[in-house]
Amino acid sequence: MRLEAYVEFAKRAFSREGTYRFQVFSRVGSVLLRVFLLATLWTNLYRANGEQAGIPLHSMLTYVVLALLLDIVYGVNGAYVVREKIREGTIAIDFMRPISVPLYVFSDTLGQTGFALLQCVPALVLSAFLVHLDGPPSVLAFVAFVAAVAIGFVVNYFIDMIMATMTFWTMEIFGIQIMVQFIASLLSGSLVPLYFFPQGAIQQILLNSPFATLYNVPLSIWIGKIEPAQYAAALGLQLFWATVFGSFAVWLWSVGERKVVIQGG
Amino acid sequence: MIIRAEHLTKQFKSLRRKDGVVGTLANLFSREYDLKDAVKDVSFELEAGELVGYIGPNGAGKSTTIKMLTGILVPSAGSCTVDGVVPWLDRKGNARQIGVVFGQRTQLYWDLPLIESFRLLRAIYGIPHDRYEQNLKAFTDLLDLDEFIRTPVRQLSLGQRMRGDFAAAMLHEPKVVFLDEPTIGLDVVAKEAIREFIARTNRTRGTTYVLTTHDLNDVEKLCDRIIIIDHGSKLYDGSIDAIKERYGGKRVLTADLTVACADIEVRLPGTTVVSREGHRITIEFDRSRVRADELIVELSRTCELKDVTIAEPELEAIIRQIYQSGLEPLTAGATT
Repeated sequence: MRLEAYVEFAKRAFSREGTYRFQVFSRVGSVLLRVFLLATLWTNLYRANGEQAGIPLHSMLTYVVLALLLDIVYGVNGAYVVREKIREGTIAIDFMRPISVPLYVFSDTLGQTGFALLQCVPALVLSAFLVHLDGPPSVLAFVAFVAAVAIGFVVNYFIDMIMATMTFWTMEIFGIQIMVQFIASLLSGSLVPLYFFPQGAIQQILLNSPFATLYNVPLSIWIGKIEPAQYAAALGLQLFWATVFGSFAVWLWSVGERKVVIQGG
Repeated sequence: MIIRAEHLTKQFKSLRRKDGVVGTLANLFSREYDLKDAVKDVSFELEAGELVGYIGPNGAGKSTTIKMLTGILVPSAGSCTVDGVVPWLDRKGNARQIGVVFGQRTQLYWDLPLIESFRLLRAIYGIPHDRYEQNLKAFTDLLDLDEFIRTPVRQLSLGQRMRGDFAAAMLHEPKVVFLDEPTIGLDVVAKEAIREFIARTNRTRGTTYVLTTHDLNDVEKLCDRIIIIDHGSKLYDGSIDAIKERYGGKRVLTADLTVACADIEVRLPGTTVVSREGHRITIEFDRSRVRADELIVELSRTCELKDVTIAEPELEAIIRQIYQSGLEPLTAGATT
C-alpha cells in the first residue's frame, strides 16, 4: 500500500469540494432552516406533553441540531462514484492502476468529509443563535463523542460501499438505496431519539443495532444519556458493527471484482 | 521477449433475451445464456521495443485481448505474460509496468489542471522525485505541454488533452504501453505530433507499443509489424510490407480520355474495369499478369489518353479485402 497516493486522493477530494461554493452556502442554509423548523416542532410537542423519554427540552434541542450536523458528515456518500464507474465501465481504468479501489474511495470520502466538517462550524455557530445548545458534559465526553462520530463515519462508509458494490450485479440500486436510507433514518436515531421507542425488547434491539452506531451513540454521549461508565461498551458496540460491515464490504467487493474480471463486467 | 500470449481464449456468457411483454417477464425468472468466443486461441510474442499494430474490425476481440494483457480480464483458456508477470494474478504489479492511452476516454482528472493529474500519478506510481521531474520535463518539451499545463483538463482541446494523456501514461516509465485509438478525432497536425511522440519514445526509450486502431495511416506510419484478428481469431501476423506484397499485387490505373469511355473494352488477362465515368476510366490490374505499359498501349490503341495515374493499393484497401473475405485467402501463409 502506498500511503502517499491515498493522502493525495483525500487532499484532492477536499479541494474539489471547495470549488462548489453554492453547495456550501445552500447546505448551511438548509441546516439552519431545518434547525428552526424542528426546534419549533419539538418545543411545541414538549409544551403540550411535558418531558419525554427522560430527555429534557434543552437536551432534545441540542440533539436535533447535532443530528442535522451529522447529516452533513454522513451525507457525503463518496461511494456513489463507484456506482457511476461500474455502470459506465470506467472502473476498468481504475483496475489498470496500481491502487486498491475501495481504499481510493475511502480516501476520497475522507477528503470530502473533511470539507463537510468545515461546513459544520458555521452551521453550529449560527444554530446557536436560533436555539439554546448544551455543551458536552465533560472533556472526556467530548473526546468520546469525536471517537464515536469517527467510528460512525467508518460504518456509514461501509454501508454506502456495500450498496455501491451491489451495482456489479444489479446495475441499478436506487430502490434499495431509498429503502436503506429510510430504515437508517428511522432506526439510527437521526429523526427521533431511540429512547422514544417502546421500552423493553424493542428499544434494546434498536439501541444495539448497527444503525444506532451512526447517530444514537455519539449524540447520546453528548447529551449525557450514555454515561462515562458506559463509554467503553458503547464504542465497543460501534467497533463490533464496524468490523462486521467492514468484513462484509471487503468480501462483497472481492466477489464483485472477480465477477468483472471473469465475465467482463 | 516482453509479451507472450499462448492460446489466449475468452468466452463470454450473454443473457439470451426474449422479446415482447411475455418475454420480458420471462427474462425476470428464467435465464438462458449464449456462449460467445470473443478471443479464440490467439498466440503471439512481442520483443521488447517493438511497435506492433493490433488491428481488426469492430468486435473482432482486440480490446478483449488488451483487457487480458492489462489484467482486468481472466482468460477462459490459455495464458499470457507481460515481462514475466501474469497480469490477472498480479494486477497491481502488472499495472506498474504498463501504461494505457485511450483516445475515447481520458484518464486525467477532469476538473484538475493537467499538472495536478501528473502529481497524483507520481504519488500513485511512487515515482521518485528526480525521475518524475526528468520525465515531466522531457515530455513537456516533446509534447509542448507548457502552454496549457495549468489549465483544467475540461478546458483543453482534444489535441491538447491527448498530449496530456500520453505524458500521463508515460510518467512512470512503463515497459509496455497499450494504445487504443490514440489519434481518433484529431486534426492532421495533432495526429502527426502524437505519431512523432510514439515513434520517438519507441526509439529513444525502447518503449514497447501495442497500437489498436482503425486508422491504418497510424499503423502504416508507425508499425513494421501488424497482427490482424477477426471473429476472435488471428488472421495475420507479420510485416506490413509482406502483407502488401502478398495481398496487394493489384494496382489501379486511372486514365482520362479524350472521348467518352462508355464502350471502351480492355481485353487483357488480369484486368477489370472498375468504373467508367464520363471521360475517366478506372482499371484494376494484377501486376503479376500484366504490365502497366502493356495496359497503356492496349488503351491507346482505341483512344487517346490525356492523363494516366497508377496507384498502389493502400493498406486500408488490403485490410478491407481481408475483413470482407475472411479467413480463406489467408490460411495459406498467415504467419511469418
